[in-house]
Amino acid sequence: MESIIKRNNVNVIGNGEQVMLFAHGFGCDQRSWQFVVDAFTDDYRVVLFDYVGSGKSDLSQYSSAKYGKLEGYAQDILDVCKALSLRDVIFVGHSVSAMIGALAAVREPGYFKKLVFIGPSPRYLNDEGYTGGFERADLESLFEFMDSNYLGWSSTMAPAIMGNADRPELGAFLTNSFCATDPEVAREFARVTFFSDNRADLAKLTIESLTLQCDEDIIAPLTVGEYVKANTPNNELVILKATGHCPHISEPTATIKAIKAFL
Amino acid sequence: MTSENVKELLIRVIDSEALYQQAPCGYITFTTDGTIIRINQTLLSWLGHTAEETLYIKKFGDFLSKGGQIHYEMFFRPMLNVSGSVKELSYELHTKQGTVFHVLFGAVAIKDDNGQVIAVNAILTDNTDRKHYEQELLLARNQAEKEKRNLQFLADLTPDLIWTTTPDGEIDYINARFADYFQVPGRTFTQDQFLTRIHQDDRADFITAWADKLKCGDPLSHDLRLENHNGEYKWHLVKSVPHYSEQQEILKWFGSCTDINDHKLALTKKDEFISVASHELKTPLTTLMGILQVLERLKSNPSAPMLGEFIDRANKNAKKINSLVGELLNVGQLTAGQLRLNKEYFNIHELLDNCCQYVRTEHAFEIVIDGDPELQVYADAGRIEQVVVNYINNAVKYAPNSGSLTISFSKLTEDIKISVTDNGPGIPEEKIPYLFDRFYRIDHGGSQYAGLGLGLYICAEIVKRHGGRVGVDSELGKGSAFWLTLPITKY
Repeated sequence: MESIIKRNNVNVIGNGEQVMLFAHGFGCDQRSWQFVVDAFTDDYRVVLFDYVGSGKSDLSQYSSAKYGKLEGYAQDILDVCKALSLRDVIFVGHSVSAMIGALAAVREPGYFKKLVFIGPSPRYLNDEGYTGGFERADLESLFEFMDSNYLGWSSTMAPAIMGNADRPELGAFLTNSFCATDPEVAREFARVTFFSDNRADLAKLTIESLTLQCDEDIIAPLTVGEYVKANTPNNELVILKATGHCPHISEPTATIKAIKAFL
Repeated sequence: MTSENVKELLIRVIDSEALYQQAPCGYITFTTDGTIIRINQTLLSWLGHTAEETLYIKKFGDFLSKGGQIHYEMFFRPMLNVSGSVKELSYELHTKQGTVFHVLFGAVAIKDDNGQVIAVNAILTDNTDRKHYEQELLLARNQAEKEKRNLQFLADLTPDLIWTTTPDGEIDYINARFADYFQVPGRTFTQDQFLTRIHQDDRADFITAWADKLKCGDPLSHDLRLENHNGEYKWHLVKSVPHYSEQQEILKWFGSCTDINDHKLALTKKDEFISVASHELKTPLTTLMGILQVLERLKSNPSAPMLGEFIDRANKNAKKINSLVGELLNVGQLTAGQLRLNKEYFNIHELLDNCCQYVRTEHAFEIVIDGDPELQVYADAGRIEQVVVNYINNAVKYAPNSGSLTISFSKLTEDIKISVTDNGPGIPEEKIPYLFDRFYRIDHGGSQYAGLGLGLYICAEIVKRHGGRVGVDSELGKGSAFWLTLPITKY
């Protein structure tokens, strides 16, 4: 148990009995929940964590073999549930975490009571008869952007050139910055996220779920939200009046309201 | 001038609007949904747009590629909301002309009283030159990495132990073979660790030589024994060469350790052989010279009764010398690869019978030949006879009390096997693997059996050239069977 707590930098706050587990999206860590968690801590026991490779998780536990698939991240969620002996969890997942949570809930439904998906997308790439919003070239261009902003910050010379393995001072910088994801891990996480296809998993969900969708989100367009609603048993779709992909950051009040209404 | 006056002057001189518009960097302000509400001339000129077609119409994201937009949504916006500012990000802006403009993009969030972001102030600086420079560096680094991998691959491929040291002799690189030989974990090895693996008899000499070379900068070449991970010592030739900078300073020492163990052992064996051979030749030669001295004295009296016996003995010793020199010549031919085989079909039984003639006449040995009297084989009859005679001679020499010998031959599936079996004392098992080695002589306590130890080596080589095999089956107290095989098919 100790090892999981440390590995995933698990933090438990709040006074309630009912557990809410918040899972951050790609490129972020648990601090991205800071604008919404306070609204729940009076009534709920709030569990926050970082995926291995993100935030203040134990980077040494990262392995491409495990985290080269979303199932590896789903295992992190199940590990946290098991380590804390959680039951009937209300799971809140942002972006790729929505699908990671869905995978976890398909595998071990016993842990979960309700699922909240914020800006979910079962598949980012367009496909025949399906609009995910992206072509492969769009994603390659994103990866280039990530590479040239290797450390999420590029005021020093040629960060992509420096490499970072034997530069601990860069590591120290990373842990102090937001979106503290190791660059190599981020690169792999991005590929896993954007090339995943979990459309078939939606139908296997038995747990009641809510989809929160911004009305102007280039990463998860409205069509994707509608697809999730149409293909997931027991799913409710709420469209937020917000631009962007992170309503819990840009529109926390509306987001809190929508989640509370669902609970 | 009073400070009041200075202030007034400054207000008159500094036109902050002009500074904003004409700044060497781009300034832009946009709302949370990206709508541009203020932008300076510099940035507009980079983008190729006018203020009229931009303000309140375009969003910041409109100037980004789709990938850039994802990055903006997934990284920039959350980061700005949480941290309040974003340091320089490397972004690409798409201009009206369809070109790409590289900028460093930093931003500060403007928040309302509740901490909610209401607008973003951003500064963009021209990053074109740096991008270009980075690209060049990246290419150079990739090239260097590639070269390094190639060299590493080569270094790991050679059978030598390869290493480099700093100018003062600390090891800073070892190749895979090196790590393997010493079983070094993690490929790190200090000079002291290396020194402890040198044979203690060689260590002091090496330390002196190496210290000397490090001081004067001359190449090193030194033989020593190195202990491998099994605790065995193997002879190595250690070479080290200094690598100089353009300023003639030593940058590094490049070194290798080549396994010369077999070579060293062969040399030792050869030395031993030369001493044995000299001794073997010296004995009959000394005897011969003594007889010749006697004959010298007897030459005036040719009818002396002992004369005949002396001549016989002289002949015997001359023959002995002749046969020793013959053996040496044979070995010389074999090592030079000059042994020619004149193959023909011949009857094995007849050949074996021939071989026995001399033993039958000179020694009281009963010899039985057992095998199909019609069987023929395709081989060099003269050479095979040499081998069989050698086997027989060995039997007579090492098993003199045996009294009888059996020479048998038979046809197996793929070859013909000929064995010479005695009833002698047998050969200890541990000696059998070395019997056919060059320069090997059975240690028979008190050198009562003379010889160069070349006979069986020559036999083995002759049979090998025929494509056959040689071997010994022996049991202590019962006897030995020396055998050879010859392939049935033309080899």
